[in-house]
Amino acid sequence: MAALLDVRSVSKRFGGLQALSRVAFTVDAGEIVGLIGPNGAGKTTLFNVVTGVYPPDDGRVVFRGEDVTGAAPHRLCKLGAARTFQVSKPFATLTVLQTVRIGALNRIPDMAGATVKALEVLELMGLAGKRDEPGRTLTVMERKRLEMARALATQPSLLLLDEVAAGLRPNEIQDMIALVRSIAAGGVSVLIIEHVLEAVMRLSARIVVLNHGEVIAEGRPAELANDARVIDAYLGEAYSLA
Amino acid sequence: MVAVAALAIAAALPLAAGPHLLTAMIVALHAAFMALAWNVAAGYAGQFSLGHSLFYGIGAYASTVLYLRLGLTPWAGMFVGAALAGIVGGLLALGVYRYKVHGIFFALVTLGAAEVAKGLADNWAFIKGPVGILLTMQNAPGDFFFLRREPYYYVALAMLVAMIVISLRLERSPLGQYFLAVREDEQAAEASGVDSYRYKTIAISLSAALTAFAGSFYAQFYLYVSPDTVLIFEPQLTMMLGTMVGGAGTAFGPVIGSLLFSGLGEALRNLPFLESTRGIVIGSKMVYAVLLIVVLIYLPGGLITLGRKGA
Amino acid sequence: MIGLDVILQAGLSGLFMGSVYALIAIGFTLVFGVTNIVNFAHGHFVMGAMFVTYLLFKTLKVDPYVGLVVVLPLFFALGSLIYRLVIQRIVEAPHSAHMMVTLGLLIFIENLANLFFGGDLRGITTTYTTSSLVLGAVSVPIARLGAAAVSLAAVVGLALVLHRTSLGKAIRAAANNPEGAALVGIDVGRVYRVAFSLGTAAAALAGAVIMPFSLVSPFVGGEFILKAFVIAVLGGLGSVAGALIGGLLIGLVEALSSLYIQASLGNAIVFAILIVVLLYRPWGILGQARV
Repeated sequence: MAALLDVRSVSKRFGGLQALSRVAFTVDAGEIVGLIGPNGAGKTTLFNVVTGVYPPDDGRVVFRGEDVTGAAPHRLCKLGAARTFQVSKPFATLTVLQTVRIGALNRIPDMAGATVKALEVLELMGLAGKRDEPGRTLTVMERKRLEMARALATQPSLLLLDEVAAGLRPNEIQDMIALVRSIAAGGVSVLIIEHVLEAVMRLSARIVVLNHGEVIAEGRPAELANDARVIDAYLGEAYSLA
Repeated sequence: MVAVAALAIAAALPLAAGPHLLTAMIVALHAAFMALAWNVAAGYAGQFSLGHSLFYGIGAYASTVLYLRLGLTPWAGMFVGAALAGIVGGLLALGVYRYKVHGIFFALVTLGAAEVAKGLADNWAFIKGPVGILLTMQNAPGDFFFLRREPYYYVALAMLVAMIVISLRLERSPLGQYFLAVREDEQAAEASGVDSYRYKTIAISLSAALTAFAGSFYAQFYLYVSPDTVLIFEPQLTMMLGTMVGGAGTAFGPVIGSLLFSGLGEALRNLPFLESTRGIVIGSKMVYAVLLIVVLIYLPGGLITLGRKGA
Repeated sequence: MIGLDVILQAGLSGLFMGSVYALIAIGFTLVFGVTNIVNFAHGHFVMGAMFVTYLLFKTLKVDPYVGLVVVLPLFFALGSLIYRLVIQRIVEAPHSAHMMVTLGLLIFIENLANLFFGGDLRGITTTYTTSSLVLGAVSVPIARLGAAAVSLAAVVGLALVLHRTSLGKAIRAAANNPEGAALVGIDVGRVYRVAFSLGTAAAALAGAVIMPFSLVSPFVGGEFILKAFVIAVLGGLGSVAGALIGGLLIGLVEALSSLYIQASLGNAIVFAILIVVLLYRPWGILGQARV
């Protein structure tokens, strides 16, 4: 079965820094795949290459069977790959509803239909009460939910989440895990970058480990917990499977 | 229903106003129209262009030249001018946005474009260069020409009402949402499926076409066009002042701002009962400048935010 | 065919004016480089200083160069005042706000001048206004030579301040990294104010020294700011050395092109150059590619 997302030996260099080096992995339909690695490993760079923010120097990105290497971000979104940003980017002066509706317009080109879809997603994300608030008045947690809502409203087949659990309190992390699970249950595949290892270990069917721009390990969470290379990369960090 | 009342009052105004006040009102309506046209690109889509005089000039010259050379009535000529401006704006945008210019760089490119246009126009014999073109009209009203002043008021009013309706419809349309998204955060907009390159270009093109209509009106009202009247920074300033003071990105902000600045400004000029109003006119401009600065510092959303709850 | 001596003469004239343009542009680019503010009213400061110089000459018979003793501190203080009253409140605002606010300043200054002096062009005639040194095939107008010399001296002086004094270091630090500068104890607000005042003073110096051979009206400010834009962008926004090179270049282009084509066409060419630079190399000749 062809993979939903096929990253083929992607490399990217910024001046003197090799940010990505022959990175290759896949995400199949229906999977939640985790992407972990220490700071500076290249995780967000990978997201940027996959979603078209900038093209790779080498390698190809194939999404739903189509070569999308270097395609513009809006094209990726139209094809069904939606992403959130690590530092959330709300539309500051637009209301929560307006923001999510813009995402909904991706598939539903009329205002009435898009509004219905947006309200639906807001309900799912627990933001319905804030629909008329401008984006800049939201708290950190609310902004993350808004990011996800906007991405979800575009009706993607693959959702790329960039550190949605960062900065959250323990109970909020549990909520986030449940949220991502329900999104996946709704038929959306997920590729999730996460530093909060508890979250990514609990959610992912498979994990890809990045370090210095290279894939150093890949496998099921349980397999990786004792992998020497992974532990080495996170030297000094303690974690455990919850 | 406030709108209907306002419209009724506006329609009845010429009956009560003398020629001086009437001219002031016409200038104000014209300014409000232009401001809303610029607002499409700058207010809604966040593309702060400093070169809109280019499009104003295209409108003024196009309808004029088509009339004098081909006898085409300016009623139709202004649409040709708008189309031309739309194309020029679109091409400009397509070229410029390819290079990912933003903020001050974008503003300077547009300013440069307008300056280049003025320089070229000053040397283009076909449009009589710096001497300009004097319009001699044959038929009223068929040639967009009237013997009395009142009809110009009604045309300007109709144009403004149409422009307000266009703005309101834009605000409520998907296109309008794409403009807003691009304005707020281009990267996030792209990630949400919005083709920012395309919509920025559409914004400039649309704004350019609408601005051209104002240029044609100018030509028909003052019956003289030259690079020194329509291709200078003045129209640009008018559009910007009205929009920014009134409230960019809204349908009524630019109207309020323009009525205040341009209407009042014109009204203070040549006051019928004063011998010399030079000092008053200049003084009023200084007051406006201060008002502009004060509003921008303390009410960055424009005067229109006074009528709303704090954002 | 235009003779070589005419070209040489034009070239010299271009370099002289170019030095003055450079000074004006440096004032502008310094403010932008440090505070990130585009001061549309910069050209009107030049105009203001021209008028003050004019006034000093007409009423008190003070020579423009002597008048600098008054003009420079006056405009430095004015710059400081304007910064405190207006500019510092919009430093954090988006570029569009900078443009509009400084446009407001422009309108205010222009109309103030119009109110006091009227719209006519005015000039002064000093003892050296029409004097020239004849060196072989070219004649060197003393007034223009003086303006160029003072301008270049000011540029060197500014460069020295920026690179040899602790104030200069603070300015460069704040320009480079305001947060970092604040962390090491630099009063960034004060640095911004000083930079703005220096920029204003630079404009004023230029205005004063061109008065012996120029005409002033409330409406000449526009020309100066437009040139400053082109030169600053050409040289690299924020780069003093770049603005110097850019100024001399533009001065030359302007003077030499005037031999062959209309001034308005020459103007169009200069702006076409601006557009090309903005599109292909927005960081200018000496600037650094910044994201």
